[in-house]
Amino acid sequence: MTATYERVVYKNPSEHHYMKVCLEFQEHSTGLTAAQFKQLLVLALKDLFGEVGAALPLDVLTYEEKSLSAILRIGSSGLAKLWSSLTLLGSYKGKKCAFRVIQVSPFLLALSGNSRELVLD
Amino acid sequence: MVRFKHRYLLCEVVSDDSRCRLSLDDRVLVGLGRDTTARVHGTFGAAACSVGFAVRYLNAYTGIVLLLCRKEFYQPLWSALPFITYLENKGHRYPCFFNTLHVGGTIRTCQKFLIQYNRRQLLILLQKCTDEGEREAIQKAVTRSSLLEEEESAEEELSDSAGEATKATE
Repeated sequence: MTATYERVVYKNPSEHHYMKVCLEFQEHSTGLTAAQFKQLLVLALKDLFGEVGAALPLDVLTYEEKSLSAILRIGSSGLAKLWSSLTLLGSYKGKKCAFRVIQVSPFLLALSGNSRELVLD
Repeated sequence: MVRFKHRYLLCEVVSDDSRCRLSLDDRVLVGLGRDTTARVHGTFGAAACSVGFAVRYLNAYTGIVLLLCRKEFYQPLWSALPFITYLENKGHRYPCFFNTLHVGGTIRTCQKFLIQYNRRQLLILLQKCTDEGEREAIQKAVTRSSLLEEEESAEEELSDSAGEATKATE
């Protein structure tokens, strides 16, 4: 008696991917406004992928100036380009910095909970 | 089979200035192509296209250029060609633009296309020319090329029929 298996595949790839990132400077006292943060992202894309990369539909959904962390939204075809240009960004206006990518998900709701920071009582 | 596949981009350099075409140089073109791809597609695009990038054929009188690049990376180069706006030679800038005529996989297909294109261009020139001396020269060129065309098609028929005969005997 063979059991019949049924496999259901949903072909609805979401159009956007959401990334939670945090920017770390070597000198911890530097601050950036939201506009300067977005300019930094576009500059990173332009460096590695040129004018075409700088024109990718990128949005900064939230930005916290104190912790320099943000949630970004990018079209799904541009995720690899954005992530690689964030990895290769080394400095901003002469100051050394690095991007830490905390979470990536095609669904925004998934970024609200992070199992790494889960505290079990 | 494992081999590096290429794409050959057949382009025409169009310019108002007649000195522009005479100053075409393959080193200048390679540098210009690489700089423009770097501007449009960044360091990644420029590096990807420069691996197999070369100028294979250059005709200064008609402004025809044949560029070679790898099959995986010919699209960034192709999309950066419209962004080339000037040719620089010895400090003089000549505004021009690149018109892509044909993309082929081998030099032979590009050559076939170029021969047909030149024949059509000759006929267009014949219609448009105003000077009597020019008209005679172009008519001579047209008759010569059509004779060559008949020879070529006769050769192809012969080789086709020879091929069929050998296949039949096999």
